[in-house]
Amino acid sequence: MTQAQDWKQFICRACGLIYDERLGDPDSGIAAGTRFVDIPDDWVCPLCGVEKADFEPYEAVSVMPATGGVPLKLTRAVGVVIVGAGHAGWAAAEAVRAQDALVPITLVTACLGDRYLKPELSIALRRHSSRESLVRETGLASAERLRVRLMTETFAVGLSPALHQLRTTRGNLQYTSLILAQGARPALPEVLPAHLCWRINDLDAWVGLKRQLGGTPKHIVIIGAGMVGCELADDFMTAGHQVTLLDVQKAPLATLLPEQASERLRVALEGAGVKFMGTTQVTGVTQLAQGVKSVSLVDAPALECDEVVAATGLVTDTRLAVGAQLTTDRGIVVDPMTLQTSAPDVFALGDCVSINGMPCRFIEPISKQAHAIASAIAGQLDAPYTHSAPVIRLKTHSLPVVMHGIPVSNGQWRVVSETHQELKMAQQIDGVDCCTLELG
Amino acid sequence: MNPTEASSALLNGSSSELLARVKHISSGDLASAAYKIDHEGFYPVGIMQTLGQAGAFGAHLDRNGRQFGVAIDAMREIARNCGSTGFLSWCHDVCGLYMEQSGNPALMGALLDEHVCANTLGGTALSNPMKTFAGIEKMLLRAKRVAGGYRVSGALPWVSHIGQGQYCGAIAGVYLDDGSTSHEIMFLLRCDDEVVLRQCPEFSGMEGTSTWGIRLDDYFVGEDALIADPARPFIARIRAAFVLLQTGWALGVTQGSIESMLEVEPLLGHVNKFLDDRPDEMQAELDDLSQRIQTLALTPYDGSVDYVISVLDARAQSAELSLRASQSGLLHQGARGYMMNTAPQRRIREAHFVAIVTPAIKHLRWEMARLSKQVLPA
Repeated sequence: MTQAQDWKQFICRACGLIYDERLGDPDSGIAAGTRFVDIPDDWVCPLCGVEKADFEPYEAVSVMPATGGVPLKLTRAVGVVIVGAGHAGWAAAEAVRAQDALVPITLVTACLGDRYLKPELSIALRRHSSRESLVRETGLASAERLRVRLMTETFAVGLSPALHQLRTTRGNLQYTSLILAQGARPALPEVLPAHLCWRINDLDAWVGLKRQLGGTPKHIVIIGAGMVGCELADDFMTAGHQVTLLDVQKAPLATLLPEQASERLRVALEGAGVKFMGTTQVTGVTQLAQGVKSVSLVDAPALECDEVVAATGLVTDTRLAVGAQLTTDRGIVVDPMTLQTSAPDVFALGDCVSINGMPCRFIEPISKQAHAIASAIAGQLDAPYTHSAPVIRLKTHSLPVVMHGIPVSNGQWRVVSETHQELKMAQQIDGVDCCTLELG
Repeated sequence: MNPTEASSALLNGSSSELLARVKHISSGDLASAAYKIDHEGFYPVGIMQTLGQAGAFGAHLDRNGRQFGVAIDAMREIARNCGSTGFLSWCHDVCGLYMEQSGNPALMGALLDEHVCANTLGGTALSNPMKTFAGIEKMLLRAKRVAGGYRVSGALPWVSHIGQGQYCGAIAGVYLDDGSTSHEIMFLLRCDDEVVLRQCPEFSGMEGTSTWGIRLDDYFVGEDALIADPARPFIARIRAAFVLLQTGWALGVTQGSIESMLEVEPLLGHVNKFLDDRPDEMQAELDDLSQRIQTLALTPYDGSVDYVISVLDARAQSAELSLRASQSGLLHQGARGYMMNTAPQRRIREAHFVAIVTPAIKHLRWEMARLSKQVLPA
């Protein structure tokens, strides 16, 4: 009957009282069944007194459950809490569950917690990837498999180590052990407005850029020719887009590679069609008509393009750690063997940590770090993490680059072998190779 | 004491002397009146004036060295004995802050002198605008530009610490002839004969906060009443300070609740030890939080997103703590705290208000989530 009558509801914008046409407002002399339009204009909200004009049509909205749909088999019992559902967060969950089948695990994530490999994002356009093809396992499926309480679209906002308390935008959690796996966020220089510049550091951003690119070739300006910038330039080019790659250095990856190697990389990228502009400084990005962006430069005419991608490096978001008085430098400082932070029962791994004063933003060490943390939590101190420089692989199609070891900035490079297709170099300290490099 | 003397009393005396004066009033006259204020609707004008003359409402102002930590501690001392008056203190403090930060000479001189020592009283009507700016509600007051100022119409449901002859900071959206809004203005709304004050429904507590519905019909706002035009940049600048000051009130309700637990410890400690949230645990949490708040109070106008989130987090935590502490306070006292004229059951209702007043816990979390999201091109 209600449906047949199609009764409407109207909500007071001030206090939230709902006027239901079916029920009327008998206390104010409005009979049941009075249409809202038929209420006299001098009628006021019976609860707070604002005018009729301050009511608006009301329709109930449905709200996504905080658990992302995972049944709450586990209560808010104290256990292990993990912040972040990137590769590091899930690796930690896997490792902790492998050590202990029963301990409650809660994973707090700003996104949906779907699992994918971030390095794949910089080769995904040429592979015609989609969100579906990149996701290896949904957050929901992982949570069920590992019996993890997953809190999606939830931000960790405060931490009190003395109380073993993590505060989130969905309420507070007590923990016996806390694992920070917050990753790193793009360091966006002030001249690059966030609403105009893409940063490809997570799946959602990549999906957004792909949607924006659509099916037709576009002109994309990439700011920053570090590893991510070079890989994206190579990928976008291969996928059929026009790419301009900018950097303040005169050649790509110039801060990491010796001059000879970065020059070879420049030639390879340009050979593939990327327009590289070295020694170029960006002063701003503005929006022109019809979605066109203008990138203004020092001592050069502005560039017009369809999309701007900033690949200007990563930085650890240390707000949570600093607020909790954890020791930080360029990341959250951890013990190189146990991955424990300066606070008891708080661990960290992945892109957010700093080991011996250096951040380590590679995927390779993460599972070993997770294993060390899980062992430490389980009280097994015989499985320490040993940090070693990971192998760096640049997935540029036009000229793959592989580096073993970390070069020292003032070290001398020597050519081991050089052909038209390939270049091998090495850096020595005291006559011993500390870093080797292969291009091609 | 005249306004200038009150102001110099604050400047000359140390903050500990100021707090000692406030504590004396709070534990004396205010503690005795707390039941009447909460339950019988007694609006403690006289006590507010005594507190104002003691310097309770001025430490956070630039003219007194921007001592937000002292202002928060003063509010805490007040709320410790009466949550309603703690809330009035916050209303009064932020109104003074609006006036001073407005940069409008008409609001910063004698008017502010009178306000600081509470010879005149005024609050804040920013609940709706704050929620509007956070994307939770729509603006209720509408302004139209006229010669020499604006005409404002509309109604606000409940505004505290106002009354005939008093005033409050308010915000209205400015509408153009085509029905669109151009910006917002913030102004000092003087509750004169033109302003209709409407009796509110009976609340479960805190009845003595002089809370009214306001209706404006073509109310004139002249240059001399403008706090900010446009209002948004002003709000962006003071938002963290506005929220941070509220923590003093929440800390006071929590401290009072812990004291209620301790009060019965000699008598009931042998059974109370079986309860959750014991006084020592609550005190440890309160101290941890207070310390963070005092650090935040050193830089109240730091507009960075990180700072704002830290302030919102502290405010949310202070509300959650007051809920838990007040609940535990009653459980510790048992039936003796459940009697109508006792503090523990009153503090439960005070803590509920701490948790639901703008920004409520849910609004704080909404806003922290909004600020934490990464901005990407559309």
